[in-house]
Amino acid sequence: MKFKNHLIVLSTIIFGFLLDNYLNQFTIKFFLELNFGFLIFSYWVFAIPEKIQSLAAMLYGLAVDLFFSNAIGFNMLFFVATSYIIHLYVFRFRIFSYFQLSVFFSGSSTFYIACKYLLLSPNNYSYLVLILSFVVNAILWVGVYLMMRAFRRRIF
Amino acid sequence: MARHTPTYTPIRNYSIAFLLSLSIFYTDISFQTFAPLRGIVNASTLYVQFISRSFVENISFTFASFKQNKYLLKENKELRDQILQIGTKDFIEKKDIEEKIQIIGLRDTLSDTFKSNGINIFKIASIDLTNYFCCSSHKVFLHNPNKINVEPNFSVFAGTSFVGQTKRTYMNFIEVILLSDREHVLPIKSDFFYCDARGKGKPMLISCKLNYQNDDFENRIGDNVFTSGLGGIFLKDVKIGFISKIIPITSNEIEVVITLKANPLEENFYGIINKDMNEI
Repeated sequence: MKFKNHLIVLSTIIFGFLLDNYLNQFTIKFFLELNFGFLIFSYWVFAIPEKIQSLAAMLYGLAVDLFFSNAIGFNMLFFVATSYIIHLYVFRFRIFSYFQLSVFFSGSSTFYIACKYLLLSPNNYSYLVLILSFVVNAILWVGVYLMMRAFRRRIF
Repeated sequence: MARHTPTYTPIRNYSIAFLLSLSIFYTDISFQTFAPLRGIVNASTLYVQFISRSFVENISFTFASFKQNKYLLKENKELRDQILQIGTKDFIEKKDIEEKIQIIGLRDTLSDTFKSNGINIFKIASIDLTNYFCCSSHKVFLHNPNKINVEPNFSVFAGTSFVGQTKRTYMNFIEVILLSDREHVLPIKSDFFYCDARGKGKPMLISCKLNYQNDDFENRIGDNVFTSGLGGIFLKDVKIGFISKIIPITSNEIEVVITLKANPLEENFYGIINKDMNEI
């Protein structure tokens, strides 16, 4: 993949994290943490797995860590791990229904949120946040998937 | 027939990337290795925000000028300029007076509290609201356009009480770690106990664990809490909040939760004592 395309992918991921940053300050009061950034990253790996592999995932993670995280390496770690799992099952995912995909990607995003709280902010860990975030991110995934697919078809 | 679809997923590359990320993450959370890098990125982002904001304002002003009818522009130019000048001047003066009143008020409070005039006032540049509301990291960046030399670990005052201490300076910004940050420890005292209170990672809350029984703290909710001055950073006897909750941990141990007096979200100006004045 060309460098320009990597920049486009990275900007969409950063846009997702910016959106999270802006919205979460309001939604967290209702025990809800949105995770657009992670869902967008997952979409890209799911959609073009042959083009986003370990190095790209790690570098995207590094960029996100620099701008949005409290510890460098956290997003790198999760992006690499998620990318590996999606790569392993990518062709099976193709025959999954929207519901199954939603459950998987929302589950991964909830795992990401849980680890973020456990490792970086254990005092604020809450099961209610995880459950609500799981449900809402599952709904969001469908929107993210459709929008990002339309965007990808227009751009690439 | 194959039961698995063939995929090319080189485990070696992923393992290397995973281990590298893990080691970077570990060194950063354990030793804060990359904290300066993160600070520089944060400061640069703030710079870009400031510059882009003024750039957008200039551009929109230029476009607005072009849109005006030429005839009207010619005829009304002088009048409008005058009105704009008066309006802007009025607004700036009003804003200036409001800011001056705030600054004078803060300076007076600081002078009364510390009996010193060597106090620098800084305006807030940004606060990470997402982290402030959800997570352990509570930090504020202050604007330091005159590049006043501010050392790390100096107490920071806002409103009528302490809000945190300086951590580092990046370019024209000062990073302040708030009292409610999970990493921050503040020596405090009440009428009958001393302790090192750690930030709870929740807005305006700090707490400390004490070897007391729950009964000892009956009717203590609402009691004032002051700085003890034992850490050498914060001056003693400054009221920082009140006891808001007692949580029993074991039969002989309790957690005292203290709600802080100063709310960083309501403050525009923060005061830091000069280096010379801070020395005893």
